[in-house]
Amino acid sequence: MGEKARDVMAKQFFTLRPETTIATAVQVFRQASQEMRQKVFGLMVTDPDGRLVGMLSMYDILLLIRPKHTHIWGEMSDLELDGLFAAACQRGKGIQVGDIMTTDLITVTPDAPLLLIIDIMIKKHVRRIPVLEDGRVVGIVYLSTVFDRLLDRLAGAG
Amino acid sequence: MALIDHRHVLKGLTVQEAMRRQVILLPQEANLEKAIRYAIKYKVNAILVTDSQERALGVVSKTDLMGAYYAGLPLKTPMAAIMIGPPRFCHLHDSLDVALDLMRQSGIHRLYVRADVPDLAVGVLAYPDIVGLLYRYCRRCERSILRMERGERQEGKEEHFRVRDVMTSKVTSFPEDASLVEVMEGLAAHRLAAVLIQSPAGLPVGVVSKTDLILAYKHGLPAHVPAETIMNAPVQDCDQDEYLALAIQQMIFSDIHRLFVCKGDPGEIVGVLSLSDAARFRSGTCRACLVSRIAV
Repeated sequence: MGEKARDVMAKQFFTLRPETTIATAVQVFRQASQEMRQKVFGLMVTDPDGRLVGMLSMYDILLLIRPKHTHIWGEMSDLELDGLFAAACQRGKGIQVGDIMTTDLITVTPDAPLLLIIDIMIKKHVRRIPVLEDGRVVGIVYLSTVFDRLLDRLAGAG
Repeated sequence: MALIDHRHVLKGLTVQEAMRRQVILLPQEANLEKAIRYAIKYKVNAILVTDSQERALGVVSKTDLMGAYYAGLPLKTPMAAIMIGPPRFCHLHDSLDVALDLMRQSGIHRLYVRADVPDLAVGVLAYPDIVGLLYRYCRRCERSILRMERGERQEGKEEHFRVRDVMTSKVTSFPEDASLVEVMEGLAAHRLAAVLIQSPAGLPVGVVSKTDLILAYKHGLPAHVPAETIMNAPVQDCDQDEYLALAIQQMIFSDIHRLFVCKGDPGEIVGVLSLSDAARFRSGTCRACLVSRIAV
């Protein structure tokens, strides 16, 4: 498998800015999913120079929206939760992307071998890896793309 | 969960049963910007600061972060520069009563929990966790006001605590045009987590909490801007005659740490009820559990 990151990375991608509000970020997630024709679960966060400063995943947003004491809810099926969910969303609106994004990032260069990318995804439990060249984002590798490429190879070998 | 003891709700419970297992920690080299991000993201009031082996060295709380804002420290300052240490620990198998006494006597809001390895946190115990536990007991109790609200029981309402029985009557407030510096000084002087913001007519128009202040710090807002710039509105309130159990329910499910208490008219704030107040009361929400009541 001589393929590199550049062979499997998506060159079209959406990014967020750290000062973008979560409410706007949610809209960008929707727009990205529509235009990419696949569910987008995480977006890169860049500064004005296109340098990667963080990643924001749907998990980060869910963590913000989920009330802290949700574990108590499990016992209380009779409670009306609709209003509480709306209130939680309202509270999260003023928070900015930079307030909750993940900054401990794993990145690769375009020359990174596909096997290395698979190894990183397995060991670090990541589903997407930004591809950087000279510190700037040039693409992103999705787990689904890597898996599709692997399936193609396996089918070909059969 | 242990059996309900009406005379003493927390009897026989250990720290293990009430603690939160997710401990939010960062290495001592991490900077204040990251500490704020973790506090917001994981909704915690403090971050445990550790060495490379994840052994506890100290704690950075929202109060400490607010202090850094007040002092004008750069956000790139390492957490080790402002952490308070060493952190206070209790053991998994300590009784909840002992842990609560330790928190009260030490004037601290949380204890880290260890198992066999010293300085290695396996959990954290804070007042809201204890309130959550009490709430679950109250809800299961046959005397519960929460059952009454569901129409399962009608008698005995008089034995239930009202918000006015537990609230703190003193309310610290600031005008809308008070600077964040003034608000921070007020919070520090009175050891509060939030203050009420009033309009020129004296009406409650918002709340500024430590969370709002550390976010302002992270967003680079100058500390001389007026409080109204960052205040949360409207004020989350309840009436002083509301049942304590229902007020706790409102706080737990709305994910807020305090309610301002009004007397009939929402414009007349007469006190504040925090989850910490409710936890210090610790005997549950009705007089059936009065035996274990302690001074608030």
